[in-house]
Amino acid sequence: MRVEKSLHSLTGKLLLTIGALMITGSTIFWYFLFKHQEKELLENSEKQAYSFVDYVKKSTRHGMITAQKLLIQQTIEAIGAAEGVLDVRIFDCSGKIAYTSRTEDVGKILDKNSPTCRRCHASSKPTDSPGVTVSKTKDNIRILNIVHPIYNEAACSTAACHFHSGGKKMLGFIEANISLAHHDQSLRSQGIAITMYILIFLFIISITLCTILWNLVSTPVSLLKQGMERVAGGDLDYTLDINTRDEMGDLARAFNAMTTDLKKAKNELVEWGNTLEKKVEDKTRAIQMAQVQLIHSEKLASLGRMAAGVAHEINSPLTGIVTFGHLLLKQFPPGSQQYEDVEVIIEQANRCSNIIKGLLGFARASAAEKAPTAINDVLDRSLNIVRNKADFFNIRLITEFDGALHRVKADASQLQQVFLNMIMNAADAVDGKGTITILTKNIREDDSDFVEIEFRDTGTGISDENIEKIFEPFFTTKPVGKGTGLGLAVSHGIVQDHGGKLLVRSKLGEGTSFYIKLPAYREEL
Amino acid sequence: MSKGRILVIDDEDIVRMSCSRTLSPEGYEVKLVKNGFDGFALLEEEPFDLVLTDLKMPEIDGIEILRRIKEKWPAVEVIIITGYQTVDTAVKSIKLGAFDYLEKPFTPDGLLSSVAKAFTHRKKT
Repeated sequence: MRVEKSLHSLTGKLLLTIGALMITGSTIFWYFLFKHQEKELLENSEKQAYSFVDYVKKSTRHGMITAQKLLIQQTIEAIGAAEGVLDVRIFDCSGKIAYTSRTEDVGKILDKNSPTCRRCHASSKPTDSPGVTVSKTKDNIRILNIVHPIYNEAACSTAACHFHSGGKKMLGFIEANISLAHHDQSLRSQGIAITMYILIFLFIISITLCTILWNLVSTPVSLLKQGMERVAGGDLDYTLDINTRDEMGDLARAFNAMTTDLKKAKNELVEWGNTLEKKVEDKTRAIQMAQVQLIHSEKLASLGRMAAGVAHEINSPLTGIVTFGHLLLKQFPPGSQQYEDVEVIIEQANRCSNIIKGLLGFARASAAEKAPTAINDVLDRSLNIVRNKADFFNIRLITEFDGALHRVKADASQLQQVFLNMIMNAADAVDGKGTITILTKNIREDDSDFVEIEFRDTGTGISDENIEKIFEPFFTTKPVGKGTGLGLAVSHGIVQDHGGKLLVRSKLGEGTSFYIKLPAYREEL
Repeated sequence: MSKGRILVIDDEDIVRMSCSRTLSPEGYEVKLVKNGFDGFALLEEEPFDLVLTDLKMPEIDGIEILRRIKEKWPAVEVIIITGYQTVDTAVKSIKLGAFDYLEKPFTPDGLLSSVAKAFTHRKKT
């Protein structure tokens, strides 16, 4: 990935600052080093100048003492021809050039105001100490000028020539002009070399710094920035690949941890959002079902209350019809038309009575006396009642009971009513010939224990159209007079009152299974 | 010579008539009253072997009648007739000493059989 370079970036600012500091530092260093070098060179040049003058003095001493003017002149000329020496002059006290490397100048008298004389004679009291000055020519070449006095010695005044008297302090002076061009050249070379070194040093330091900053700061920061943009854009799978042990590595690890946490939180939210919808749907369905059941139960309960009232009112007149019917029956010979007519009256009165009894089942469902009950025993009792009935002679009754069946807190007589109803319905479904299987087993549903009783018949089955209505009161497919249509409705009410469920599964032509699920009774330990 | 004296207490004419028309031809002497007060008054005056009483009546209900009869005339057998049977009242009635519990609509044979059993029981004790 490319990282944008900018002076505003952290690296840019750091580089600028460090660069500026280094350039300033280097320049100051360079300046002082150069100055020091220059001073050193100058001091050396001065020392050399003094040595040179001393050398001139010593070279000409013999000539001076023996007064050999030609020898002195030749010596001076020889010395003056040396490299770097511009000229060498020996003056006497009057300012006349006694000897010089430029022969044409011999005998010239320098004015007291000439630069050479003014060195010592600037003030009213001239100095007699040696002096050195540095000046520049028009060609920008520096020249070191040294003026050194020649003091009187015993050997001078006592020499055979008697040229100098013994009273004088100074006999004259030596002046030499030495070119510093060579020194300056050397200084320049050194300056250039130092500058080069510093520039190379700066360059290397800059490259190193750049690389270090680039790798340690710019790249990770840019990666972090990119990562943050990706995460902000919703890409929570993005992880930073920075595994260094420094603060950047720590930051990257913290960033990755944050992304992971964010992803986890987001996933939880999404999952929660998804399941929420499902939960709401489930809950809505459950509430709707509960409402339907509540309405159903309420319907059945009010039906029961009404039935109780109706039963009391209707049963008395029915008693009259039945009693007087029987009384009337005795007045006709059996087999006569009248006898049969009265029998119909009694039969229909009994039918009314049965309908009333069925309705009363709703009223009774809520007045149950519940106790821990063994379902298998209740089923056995129910089967014993029906087994000997003529309707069951051609029906195979199969029982598959779970011996370890949980007990159920229930009203045994009500359950028996339900079971009888189921068995009678099954017998009707197989039309007197077929198989009825009754199974019991323990099941676990929604983390609770239930007892399931299945009544399976090999009958004709129930059509989809009818299966929705079978629990409705007064719904029946049996011929008029055979069923009241209350059996399943009452059974449903009783099972519900026991906290259970009554379900049906049917296939046309194959048979029907009714399932009763009752909550298992928990023995208190 | 009557087989026995029976008092029928019911607020419904038709039930009283049914009892009377079933029992009288069989040789029982049957008296009919509309409510508990009349019943108690008659019991004070005349001896009865058996009382048939309806359970649900406006002033005094069958359970109360049963309780008072068993208090005052313990020898008199009581059969409860009801148009609306619940396990509760059946158990209560038997506990209080009712001989039988008859559900409406009863058939003449059912009534006669229950009454006959009551008399047999009475003779034994």
